This record gives sequence, C-alpha cells and structure tokens, in this order.
Amino acid sequence: MRADGTPHEVVVVGAGVAGLVAALRLAKGGRRVRVLAKGVGATHLTGATVDVLGYSPERVGSPAAALPGFVAAHPDHPYARIGIGVVDEALSWLKGHLADPRYVGDTGRNFRLPTAVGVPKPSAVVPQTMAAGDVVDGKSFAIVGLPALKDFYADLVAGNLALAGDGIEARAVPVGLDLDGRVDVTPPAYARRFADPDFRAELAFSLRGRLGADEVVGVPAVLGLAGAEAVWEELEGRLERPVFEIPTLPPSVPGLRLFDALMGALRRAGGRVVMGAPVVGAEREGNLVRGLYTEAANGRRYYPASHVVLASGGWAAGGIEMDGSWAVRETVLDLPVCGVPAGARFLPGYLDHQPLAGAGVAVDRSLRPVDGEGDVVLANVRVAGATLAGAEPWKEKSGDGISVSTGYHAAVSILAEEG
Amino acid sequence: MKSIETEVLVVGGGATGVGVARDAALRGFDTVLVERKDLAEGTTGRYHGLLHSGGRYAVKDPQAARECAAENVVLRRIAADTIEDTGGLFVTTPWDDPEFGDRFVRGCAENGVPVEEIEVADALRREPALHPKLRRAFLVADASMDSWKLVWACARSAHRHGARILTYRAVTEVLRDGDAVAGVVVVDPRTGDELAVHARLTVNATGAWAGRLTVMAGCREVEVVPGKGIMIAMNHRIVNTVVNRCTMPSDGDILVPIRTVSVMGTTDSPVRDPDELEITQAEVDHMLEEGEKLVPGFRSYRALRVWAGARPLFGARPPGDGVTGPRAPGGDTRDITRAHALIDHAERDGVGGFVTITGGKATTFRLMAEETVDLACRKLDGAEAALRPCRTATELLPDAENGYYSVRSRLAAREENLLDDQLVCECELVTRGTLEAALERRPTANIDDVRRALRLGMGPCQGGFCTYRAAGILHCRQQLDQAAANAALLGFLQERWKGVAPILYGDQLRQARLDDWLYQGLLDVEHLPA
Repeated sequence: MRADGTPHEVVVVGAGVAGLVAALRLAKGGRRVRVLAKGVGATHLTGATVDVLGYSPERVGSPAAALPGFVAAHPDHPYARIGIGVVDEALSWLKGHLADPRYVGDTGRNFRLPTAVGVPKPSAVVPQTMAAGDVVDGKSFAIVGLPALKDFYADLVAGNLALAGDGIEARAVPVGLDLDGRVDVTPPAYARRFADPDFRAELAFSLRGRLGADEVVGVPAVLGLAGAEAVWEELEGRLERPVFEIPTLPPSVPGLRLFDALMGALRRAGGRVVMGAPVVGAEREGNLVRGLYTEAANGRRYYPASHVVLASGGWAAGGIEMDGSWAVRETVLDLPVCGVPAGARFLPGYLDHQPLAGAGVAVDRSLRPVDGEGDVVLANVRVAGATLAGAEPWKEKSGDGISVSTGYHAAVSILAEEG
Repeated sequence: MKSIETEVLVVGGGATGVGVARDAALRGFDTVLVERKDLAEGTTGRYHGLLHSGGRYAVKDPQAARECAAENVVLRRIAADTIEDTGGLFVTTPWDDPEFGDRFVRGCAENGVPVEEIEVADALRREPALHPKLRRAFLVADASMDSWKLVWACARSAHRHGARILTYRAVTEVLRDGDAVAGVVVVDPRTGDELAVHARLTVNATGAWAGRLTVMAGCREVEVVPGKGIMIAMNHRIVNTVVNRCTMPSDGDILVPIRTVSVMGTTDSPVRDPDELEITQAEVDHMLEEGEKLVPGFRSYRALRVWAGARPLFGARPPGDGVTGPRAPGGDTRDITRAHALIDHAERDGVGGFVTITGGKATTFRLMAEETVDLACRKLDGAEAALRPCRTATELLPDAENGYYSVRSRLAAREENLLDDQLVCECELVTRGTLEAALERRPTANIDDVRRALRLGMGPCQGGFCTYRAAGILHCRQQLDQAAANAALLGFLQERWKGVAPILYGDQLRQARLDDWLYQGLLDVEHLPA
C-alpha cells in the first residue's frame, strides 16, 4: 500500500499478446504488475507474425505509408485512438525483448509470407525463422511436407505459391520423417522432437540432393520450441539455403514460442501471473475500480488494483459475447459495447464485411473506456487488444499490430499518469 | 452425345427416388437413376431426422398416420442401422390444451398408432430437461433416422441389383416419342458432358421440384407447393427421446435427438422456389421461443446450425385428374395432406411413359416406391400380367443386420483404429482412411459430398479444422487441380457459413469468430488465386 492507502499493483486481465505486452512494459517501467487470466491467451492460434496493416482494402506494401490515410478514413480504429506514432515505438520496443527467435522488419515494408494455403500474407514484423519466405517475383520455393502432420499440406502451399507472382516456381517435397511410427502428430509434438540433434540431422539428410540450387526451403513451423532460432540456423547451414517456417493450424508452434518469450520476460522483470483465474467481479468506487475478484479451484480471491488493463480479448476469446436473446456484453467489467448493428449482424457471404465484426469497447486517447456520449466510464481502466471497437483485424491483417501497440500504449499511459 | 438405354428411368436422388430405383431393380427392371446434384442433397438431407410413429398425424391427417405407423414397423426391420430407437413422447405443456390428449389417443387408436399415456413424473424422470409443469405425457414409437445413411443404403442395394445411379446429372430436356416420354437428356454441371438416357418409363421423383419436370415433359404442371420448414440443430442431446408437443401440428413443436445433437423443428410456409429458402431472424426467434416451452433455458444451449428444407406438398386439385391418393384442401400448407400422390400422366395428360410420385414423408418413402413400381409393372408388363412381387418390405438394406444405431457406437468404432489413422474431423470422428476410401469410391466428390457421406464438418466447430485438411487431402490426391481445390475450400466455408450466420450467438458465435481467425487471419483465404 502507498501512503494514501491505494495499492501499488496494476492488474492486467488476459494473457494474450495485448495483456502480456502491457504487463511487460509496466514491469519494465518499474510497476508492480499481476496478470489474471482465465487461461492461456489466443497466442496459440496465431502465426505469431505481427501484422500491422495488410489490406485497406487493397494490399498494403508499406504500413508506414498507408497508416495516415487509413486512420483518417477510420477515426474510431484503435490505431486512430492511440496515434500512429505509437505503433512504431511499440514494435521497436517489442523487438528488443524477443530473442528466440528474434523478430525482424518494421512498418516501412510488409513481408509477404506464405500461409499454409500458399497465399502471401502481408506482415510487418516477423520471426527471423519466417523472413526468408518473403514472396517476390522470380523466386523458387521447395515446400517440405511431413506425412503425419495433418495441419499442413505442402502441395496446396506450393500450388498456390506458384500463382503468387511472375516467374515464381514452387513445388512440394515430401519427406518421410518418422516419429515413432505415429500417424497423427501435432505441431508441438514435432517441435519438441527438434530438441534432439539426431532428429534435426535426419530432416536435413532426407532433403539432401533433392533441392535445386536456387530454391529457398519452406517447412511447417515446427522447428523447435525453446531454441528455435538455433534449430533454424543449423538447418540453413546444413542445407546451404535459406529456410523459412510457415505457420500451421493451431496449436501454433510460433504462437507458443511468442507466449513463452513474453511470459519469460515478464517473470524475469518481476511480474506475476495467475492462470486459471477468471475474473468474476470488481470492487468499484465512483468511476474507479478498486480491485478484482477471481474464482478458481482454490476459491474466490480479491486482488486490489491501482489500475486495470483489460485485455480479455474479443468475440473469439470470450471477452465480448452475445446471448441467446441477442444481448451483447463485455464479460469482465460489463463495459458499454459500441458498434452492435441495429439491423443485420451478419451478411450472407462468408467473406463479406460482417456488420458485427467491429463491435467492441470504445475508448479515449489513453484507452480508457467511454460510453455512447464519449464520457470516460472507468478512469483507472485501460482497454487493449481485441476487446477494442472499430477494427476488423482478420480482414485488415492488423490483429497482433493492434494488440502490441494498444497493450504498449495502455502501459505507457498508466506509467505517465504516475509521473 | 453419348446415350444409354434402360427400362425404368428415375429422376431424383432423394429417398423416394432411390427407393423407386431399388424397388425396380429388385423386381428385375433395368434401372437408371439421375440426380442433378448429390444423393439426398435436397429435401431428404434437410429434414429433422424423425421416423414418425404416426402420432403427429393421428388427429389431423389419418391416412398419413396409418401409413407412417405401418412403415415405422417396416423401416425398423429393413433399415435398423440407420435408426436410433429413441422412442417418442407427446407432452402437454402449460401452453397446450390437455383435452387434446383425448383426441390424440382416440386418433392413434383409430389409425393403428400404438400409444400409452404415462405419468408426468415418469416422463420427467426419463427426460429431466423437459418443462417441469407438463400436464400429460404419451409414449409412442417415434425414433430418429439418418436420412443420408438410408439413402446410401438404398443406392448401394439398387446398385447391387444392377441399377445405375448417376449423380451430378441435371435434366436439360425431356425426350418425347410422339405422345410418350422416351427418356431425358442430362448434363454433368461440372464438365458439361451430355448424356441421353432412353427409357420405356420415366419416373418423376423430384419431390418439391416435380412441377418443373412435368412442364419440361409437356404436361400440365403438377401442383406441388414447396413448404419451407426450418430446423435448428442444438449441440447437445438435450433429450434422448423424440419429444412432440401434444397439440395440432405447429411451429417448433418437435425436438429430435439424433447422433450427438438435438434438432428442433419445424416451421411450415409455402414458397415459390424450393431452391430459394431464406431463413429469417423472426423464424429463428420463434423457434427458440417455442423451444423454451418444451425445455426451459433452451436459448442458453449452444445452437449449432439452422437450415431449411422444402417439403413437397401436393396441393388442392380437381377430381378425375388421373391421380390416385387422397384429396386435400388448399390454403395453409400445414393443412395439405402429408400423404403422397402418384400420377399417371397417360391418364392425366395423355402423355405415356411418364409417372410422377410426390408428396409423402421420408417415413413413407418405401411405400411410395412400392406403389410407383406396382404402376410401372402394370404399364411395362401390361395390366393383365401377374404383378412382379415387391420385396422391399422384407429384404434388409445393407448393414441393417447390425441392429439399431446407438450414439455410443461411433466412439467404439474409433477406438479400434485409434493409433493407426489420422483424425481429420475431430468433432465427427472422421479419419483420413475413411475420407480416402470415400474418395476412392467417388473420385469426383467435392468436400460437401464428403460431408454428406461422412458427416465431415458437421460438429461443433462447423469445419474449423477439417475444411483445410479435407481441401489439402483432396488436392494432394490429384483429384482437384489448384483452382478447383481453392474453389472447394471457399465453397465449403460459404456453405457452412450459410447455416450458422442466422443463429450465431453464445459459444457458436465465439466458435465462428475463431474459425474466421484461422481462415481469414491465419490462412488469408480471401486472397486465394481464383
């Protein structure tokens, strides 16, 4: 407790990218911080690339060049709320805290990295292990397929990659990398096996003599959990060619690595994390939250908080939900949700812009939640990540860009308030 | 143009069509069936899965009740493995008139529908999720039936007896030879290949689409009203017994437990085009509200999917029009009889070689086929010849000897090869081996065909993982070129979306956004090359 009786601790709700970035930035800024999370965040679903702005709606070559126009056209977008200067600052800061693997790139130019269907997806900041996949005209790709991995189809990747630009060649190279005779192997199970030097050598050996001189080698993103950067470097050395990873369906190995990296950095910086502890209520006083209640196997617990960062996710993570009578709510603090369409919530085309998609919590410039009139609802709460209104992350290819920059901004705004 | 010849040509690959094809083949006729899409793609594959006891029609539609009661017994014997013996309840909720129960029991007794009134407490012990203030409860022989399995079993049986089943063959022209229909020309919509099928007798088994074919044949259009019914699959076995409201048939009054889900049905409204079945928010809301009356808290269960089917309702018609079967008043489609109609166009329109079988229910499909092939015998063998005996009421369908389906059996089957095969669809336990075997049998299958055959993508995640896997497997088996693989993937996502969009709330909304995350955020499918 401080002299005035308020607690020191900042409580972050949610252990996804936004929550962990906010917590790490706060801890690095000298604040006591505690993360309360229902479970691991959605990191495990992502390819762990930081996509800042990929489509608007045409493909974006340089997010830095496109963002001024984008925020002018979308004044309620999270990027517009925090200001685009924050995005670069947040990304540079994040890169400084990720080592295994390192992250490369910036908002000056989007990489175009093949997805598991072979579409080049625009991403600004990416793991070093993926960067060589950048799709440019004239490039030749060899895509490695693992037979027991059902969440990656090398033929499908190669077939579409070959159509992705002028003079691009792409082909699938299946390898019979056996894993104890198992026929159904998850990406993390493959990744764990890459800790074994013999297994790494076996992959390289099975590709020897099967690769063209100019080919870059795409592999499903299973090249190890801890120590992935070393595994990747070793494979590049053995194959004497650039090697890149392609994210698979979840559970995503690069997502697990990103989660581990952020959690490790946070713990080293003194942050605390309570997993399996859904927040079930809040103690309020006026327009302040004094603390949060969790309920877990060991019962109900109370965590006093000087500030709260709400990073509980959007529709997919359960941070915002709609019940069977079509009523929408923010699930942790019952904040006002804006952007719920009065008419059709969804349009008939799967790839249409869905009216409900942009619904979320509206915020002011320091990410404090506001009501329909724009008045701050809770003055010591910041909202970050997919809970925010105004974005269509999957259409824009902006998900982790929003999570990183708003998580960072939430933390900086709290630190600034403390002076 | 290539051409083939046959004695009996069946147009339409729903339960009625394959039923006619099987019956005709069993009686020794050379038989061909053509279907514009996949088997059971139309009404048969879009119903709630109820094997009627006849109780539903006991008061309102006695003939339909009698037919259902008789066919219920037959199908339980010949198609046991497509049926789960759930039993059925008719319950009087606080919103229903208890007096109706007396009329119900009387109607059942008059029409041969076995029924027994039981204590409300016993009904609630059996189905604890039902409304605690039920007033009366009656036990009947309803069951749930897997219409895809049924249709495929009939098709396999027909094939074994020499019938040729041709899917993805849409009729473009009805061939005439003077006053008679002489077959049809079909086109494969995927390849554009045309085929002429010459036949001595053409059977129009196109159900709700029957009017179109009669016009193409140069006959007066048969008056089939497509009656739209919507159904909602809830992701739970909310009940393990088929439950009906004990009232006159109305919207949202049946809950059918089938496989891992419960299906709420249904509505009934006339539409003009059976291919355009729009589902409105108001209809969904109405069904959920009615669900609350049977099962309090219904809206808080996870709704998986909503879909609509088009019943073929044979409308009001003048006497002496060559039709055998009951008469019915016009107006509200719910007042149209559920009994079927068999039309000899020689009598009705002076056009020989052509009959239409329409109306009816999935439960009565076999009887409809029997009557149709009886007529075929008289037309092809001559009215004086001895009728070739129908064997479909006694000859078991393939796999029927396995006995009734049980919801537990799919887990047992999976246990057997747990370590030997990749699980492609975790929700419905479809393995790569099963998928590849299905593709082996039908090299031209698309993902939606695979879904109907294996239930791929029909579980809680609605294709979240298996759509990608199925596209990858189809593609690497060289069955699909790049453009076709991409189209198959996008087409399946669209097909799944169509059925979830109107009922997205709660966990299913969360699931849908998760699927978007995978397909749009992670894979970027919207930028697949066309």
